[in-house]
Amino acid sequence: MPGTAESLAAARPLPRVLRPRGRSEQSLIRGALAGSEADLETLFRRHWPRAYRAAFLIVHDHAAAEDIAQEAFLAAIRRLDRFDRRRRFAPWLGAIVTNRAIDWARARAARRENHHEPPEPVAPPETPAGRYSEDVLAALAALSPEHRAVVVMRYVLEYTPGEIARALELPRGTVNSRLRRGLDTLEARLQESDRR
Amino acid sequence: MSAKRALSEFRAPDETAAEERAWTIVRCAQFDGLRTPARRRSRWRLAIAPALAVLAAAVALSPAGASVRRWIGHELGVEHAAPALFSLPAPGRLLVSGPGGTWIANADGSTRRLGSWPQASWSPRGLYVAVAGGDELAAVDPHGTPRWTLARPAVSDPRWYAPTGFRIAYLSGIDLRVVAGNGTGDHLLAAGVASVAPAWRPGHPYQLAYLTRRGTLVVRDADTGRLDWTAHPRDARALAWSANGRQLLVLARARVAVYDGDGRAIATISTPANAPILDASLSPDGQALALARGGHAADVVLANLDGAKPRLRRVLSGVGLGALAWSPDGRWLLVTWPSADQWVFVRVAGTPRIAAVSRIAEQFAPGRAPPGSPALDGWCCTTQGAAG
Repeated sequence: MPGTAESLAAARPLPRVLRPRGRSEQSLIRGALAGSEADLETLFRRHWPRAYRAAFLIVHDHAAAEDIAQEAFLAAIRRLDRFDRRRRFAPWLGAIVTNRAIDWARARAARRENHHEPPEPVAPPETPAGRYSEDVLAALAALSPEHRAVVVMRYVLEYTPGEIARALELPRGTVNSRLRRGLDTLEARLQESDRR
Repeated sequence: MSAKRALSEFRAPDETAAEERAWTIVRCAQFDGLRTPARRRSRWRLAIAPALAVLAAAVALSPAGASVRRWIGHELGVEHAAPALFSLPAPGRLLVSGPGGTWIANADGSTRRLGSWPQASWSPRGLYVAVAGGDELAAVDPHGTPRWTLARPAVSDPRWYAPTGFRIAYLSGIDLRVVAGNGTGDHLLAAGVASVAPAWRPGHPYQLAYLTRRGTLVVRDADTGRLDWTAHPRDARALAWSANGRQLLVLARARVAVYDGDGRAIATISTPANAPILDASLSPDGQALALARGGHAADVVLANLDGAKPRLRRVLSGVGLGALAWSPDGRWLLVTWPSADQWVFVRVAGTPRIAAVSRIAEQFAPGRAPPGSPALDGWCCTTQGAAG
């Protein structure tokens, strides 16, 4: 198929298909369960960027974050028929992502204590265009994975403290105190880096 | 900038490409998982052609399917592939041959050129490589040092017997010949054979399957010449034994026929005529068959060969995909993509993952213009020999 292949390699990137945003989540989930690829794609594209971003901000490793977000989506899809459709999909997915990311970060910390190097990545990490910030990552690194997760869920995934408490199975007061402490630490670190 | 704003505006590395990679995985899982109940109701066992037809039709007809095929070209492939083979995702060594000669790519990404050979084949434990080109067959070590050479006309398709490596079968024009692993005892086994690589039956010294020019499948003892059995598959163009030697797969344009060790046809996997099979590769454990399909399907699917419940799983979609090779641990599948000059590594066990590497031709044919895409000769080594 040389003709097709050549045109593939030479053509410009495919513009993202615009889909109407009016469909409710319940309707999309119903459609996905019935086998609609379009509905599944809409659901996926609505939630992927934040899921991946959240995982990355917790684990600070883009390959692992991609794995974690992918796994979370797969797990969510496989359990979609048991999802309580009266609730929002995002916090449910976010809980899976965050808990997996915390587990991964803890496991990595344990490996580091044992002086084992992480496996070599297939490809070197790429620095993104846009608002990627080493300062933000460095500031977050000062927090424990558990504190990081709470801050990310609140300010990246935009969940309420109540939703965070449910997702992480924490008392509401603990969520609030972690948020306060996490945000204070972040502000201080970012101000420091601004001064430099 | 405040911490809240910095977090809300933060963007992770490689977001767009990661999203597209993930969507391929999730989309494939939709067929695999969400539609499982419907599949359970159908009691198909070995006749999996209808399921394949449904899959192919779904991909061909769905606009989203078409878009997935396109984005593989743009997002994953052309723009976001690693610019060089920095490392293999699984242990082992790859053997490739092409216009730039025969090369070994090691797990750490280092490569070594063995010589100007158009075809090569691993010995079962990867200690040697049989190379063929022009009128010469040779065995070289992994540094490219020749151990022995043999002059025969129009040599091609050398294959080692596994697990011992005591025999090499090869084609010389339309003759099938066999030589001992140390280069001695070369002899003619059959004349008038098709231009299809012969296949040793692992663990059964020294049964060899080959195709005659009339298309007859023959299994014969290579030392005594004793005929074991014959069959008449249609349009066969590749042969492969399972790692345990219990199944022989015969690949045709739109079907794979499976025979047992005694020559009984036990299964057929068919695809629609407009979705021809481009390549097929058995997993190292012999449990799964990977098929690269062209035409309207344009994908790579896995078929389980465990017998009880054959199951199909699409792991990659893309126009112009080529050859397949399994990693020795059976966790990764390497899919060549010659038209985009890339390799795509697909993790098929555990968490699905895709990693692409670009500029393949240039890496294995430096300084040549225009370089051609190298062919996969195997990913070494399983306990049974080279995979792929």
